[in-house]
Amino acid sequence: MRTFTEKELKKYDGRNGIAYIAYRGKVYDVSASYHWRKGIHQAMHRAGCDLTEALEQAPHDPDLLEKFPIVGELVN
Amino acid sequence: MAKVAIEMVKKAGVNVKQLLELLVNNAAAELTTYYYYTILRANLIGLDGETIKEIAETARIEDRNHFEALVPRIYELGGKLPESMVEFHNCSACPPATLPKNAKDVKAILTVLVEAERCAVRGYTNICNITAGKDHRTYDLALSILNEEIEHESWFSEFLGEGPSGHFLRRGETSPFVSKFLK
Repeated sequence: MRTFTEKELKKYDGRNGIAYIAYRGKVYDVSASYHWRKGIHQAMHRAGCDLTEALEQAPHDPDLLEKFPIVGELVN
Repeated sequence: MAKVAIEMVKKAGVNVKQLLELLVNNAAAELTTYYYYTILRANLIGLDGETIKEIAETARIEDRNHFEALVPRIYELGGKLPESMVEFHNCSACPPATLPKNAKDVKAILTVLVEAERCAVRGYTNICNITAGKDHRTYDLALSILNEEIEHESWFSEFLGEGPSGHFLRRGETSPFVSKFLK
């Protein structure tokens, strides 16, 4: 499986049409999600980041991510 | 624009620009839902469909009320609605509640309805979380809308067989929580 550093993940912030986000070490492709249009979610979150902490505060369960393909792992 | 009101909200630590974007996006979701629910309601026909038509209509009218209630707060906080209706539609916080391919499939229509309400419940919960104890007026408004969205969700969920809603449908006037913002 492909690995991403935080710096590499930042390239996929949705501005180029590809939006990846990380959660608990896994990198998800959310490009096709209505809620991640242009790489922005709820006016508060930008793709290309590790959202593990933010997801703990979100008004939805992390299992919503299960419908999105995993494209890699986030490494330090 | 309510200058002191904005100042108070900023001083409390709320990112007003971000909050305004959320309010506009949710206002767009309400008005577009009003439109799409019109089509869904029209297609709720037959023995099964007619059973649901009345609550779809209540949810439709209340969603329009939510739009009407949100707009003054957007302007109070120094924001505005997009001039283009197309732009407004496309910034909606929730996906379009479009008619399913098989328009005769009442369960599929119910699924569209419940998913739209669930999106709204998440959206207003988020706004409540951001504004709680900081922006009392927006919190009060978002909480009032949230109360109604939760009821909408539970009505449609009940018809989908997910369990009892626990309360009656509206008897008489609509928007029991939001109406105070419409007077």
